[in-house]
Amino acid sequence: MKRLLIISIFVLTASALWSQSDHSKIKLDCSFCHSCEKPTKINPCLKACPREEMITVYHTPSQGPEYLIINQFEKFEDLYEPVNFSHRAHSEMAEMSGGCELCHHYNPPGSIAKCVDCHDVNRLRADLSKPDLKGAYHRQCIDCHRTWNNNVACADCHELKSSGKTAAKIKPLSASRIHPEIIEPAKIVYETETSEGKFVTFYHNEHTQLFGLECSNCHKNESCASCHKVDDMKSIKLTVEEKHQACINCHKVENNCSYCHSNKTLEPFDHGTRTGFQLKSYHQKLSCVNCHAKPKAFSGLNSKCASCHGSWSVDNFNHKATGLILDEIHAEFDCDVCHSLDNYSKPGCDACHEDMTYPKFKPGRILRN
Amino acid sequence: MNKQNRRDFLKSVTTVGITAAGLSAAAPTKLNAAPENVLSEDRMGVLVDTTVCIGCRKCEWACKESHGMHAGDIEDYDEKGIFNSRRRPDHTGHTVVNEYENDKNRSLPIYLKVQCMHCDRPACVSACIVGAFSKKESGAVIWDDSKCIGCRYCMVACPFQIPAFDYHKALEPDIHKCDFCFDRTKNGKLPACVEICPVETLTYGKRSDLIQVARNKIKNYPDRYLDHIFGETEVGGTSWLYLASKEFEKLDFPKLGKNPAPGVSESIQHGIFAYFIPPIALYALLGGIMWISKNRDKSEGEAH
Repeated sequence: MKRLLIISIFVLTASALWSQSDHSKIKLDCSFCHSCEKPTKINPCLKACPREEMITVYHTPSQGPEYLIINQFEKFEDLYEPVNFSHRAHSEMAEMSGGCELCHHYNPPGSIAKCVDCHDVNRLRADLSKPDLKGAYHRQCIDCHRTWNNNVACADCHELKSSGKTAAKIKPLSASRIHPEIIEPAKIVYETETSEGKFVTFYHNEHTQLFGLECSNCHKNESCASCHKVDDMKSIKLTVEEKHQACINCHKVENNCSYCHSNKTLEPFDHGTRTGFQLKSYHQKLSCVNCHAKPKAFSGLNSKCASCHGSWSVDNFNHKATGLILDEIHAEFDCDVCHSLDNYSKPGCDACHEDMTYPKFKPGRILRN
Repeated sequence: MNKQNRRDFLKSVTTVGITAAGLSAAAPTKLNAAPENVLSEDRMGVLVDTTVCIGCRKCEWACKESHGMHAGDIEDYDEKGIFNSRRRPDHTGHTVVNEYENDKNRSLPIYLKVQCMHCDRPACVSACIVGAFSKKESGAVIWDDSKCIGCRYCMVACPFQIPAFDYHKALEPDIHKCDFCFDRTKNGKLPACVEICPVETLTYGKRSDLIQVARNKIKNYPDRYLDHIFGETEVGGTSWLYLASKEFEKLDFPKLGKNPAPGVSESIQHGIFAYFIPPIALYALLGGIMWISKNRDKSEGEAH
């Protein structure tokens, strides 16, 4: 009897520890998921699924399953055949609009939660706070599908059992992306309703190529319809705030309307005209983030060279890189002996040599102009 | 089922009349045709979330199918052209789905299922002169077509204009309306429309629980819903409750107060005959007129 007791205590302790093992890596307050103080395996008292927070498991579309067969209702009296669901195609599309959590809106620690873990298979149930499984599945599919294709015919996803047809088999997918390459617009001119500053010129190519933004930096909550049903989307009336949101996320322009709004279409971005700091030679080759350390917020930098190049000295700077190899005498001097102004532009010689001027007289051997 | 004949009807009317007279003499103010005794705390209801409905009309098909009406092919219900006109429940279907414009997003119209609201204080029960209508403990308002004489008072009384009549039938026409699938729910099944709904626009549960669910939805998604549960208090409360993103008047819901509909009709009906004063007053008035005209005749006669 004693032995039995010891064994059972051991088993209980081990199982309790095992049930905790998944939780060790989680940096969350217990109350984020559990509603009671001491959750147990039998009564975990989990809170209703939070929609905003995805807790664990992120992976690329190719790491997820290629396709799934949704047949949870086969054991019930169901009018329809199971659904063949192309998971990979959908997860790739979701990358442009909310990611995995667009559908997997809640995932407790550990493996990927199935819909049925939270959503009851029975419609006649005690907890009415969440939709049942059938409702949850249909809402996930139809809520997106109807935005770009108002047809909600059942046979689009599953055939009637009585029809004798079965759902189309999913074609094997290639390793490459399923969505064809998206052709980016170069320039879009928005005509606004304001009388002053009627036009907003938006250079899409600059944002993606020059400023180094990823698609998903701006296209966060994109619906398929925004590309596939452009006419319908035009009928959606956005508030003034919503229209500005995409831009003011990065451009903190406060009340300076003329930053974007103009009476004519604007020229492409030019560092010299916009900031007064003309980019020449080396700077021209750099991408914005090389200097503007904070991506997306290219706030003004000090135009003094030393603010970026403060660490340059005779010891660590190879003057050859400028196209001029300094001769022995000049190589000894500190930088500011010749470059007395706060920029490293080509210096004059008159601080030391009254009768010499650059570039007629050179302090070394020139490699290129 | 046998229809009651004229003799039966007269008998029942007499019985009802005598009982009513007796009751009103004893306690005239307590008479209330809405049967409060069967308004159970645990009565069931349905929460209709109109922001979820996709307008697939499968509920229409399932309703007909479960009530032995001509339902036709389920695939025909995908036809969208039917939304070009507004429809009402009638003898061919006890529920219909209508389409309304969505001001927030024109490409996603609002769909609205219409059927009997199953009032907690049903005006039809109050108006039915043969007691065919009753409010059941489950919340359902049903009627006994063996008692129905086809007077159509229920149609006039209903604040939602739900009961429909078989005008096409010359013999034994019936009243038609949603019965909250009384026979199905009695046997532990869901109402047919609730069962088939793919997106669970229709949530079936205890009415008190549904109000809580609806309140939470409004609290959690204030941009999605108007802060109004239609049916919570309208005409004394209804078993079917609605949530919407657009004003209920614009969705063809009647603007109704909180007072039960029978309260209005009953107070008029009962008021006319209260303490028999109005008939006495009428006779007194007529008597007065007679007396005056008699005197006038007399005086005119003397003048000649």
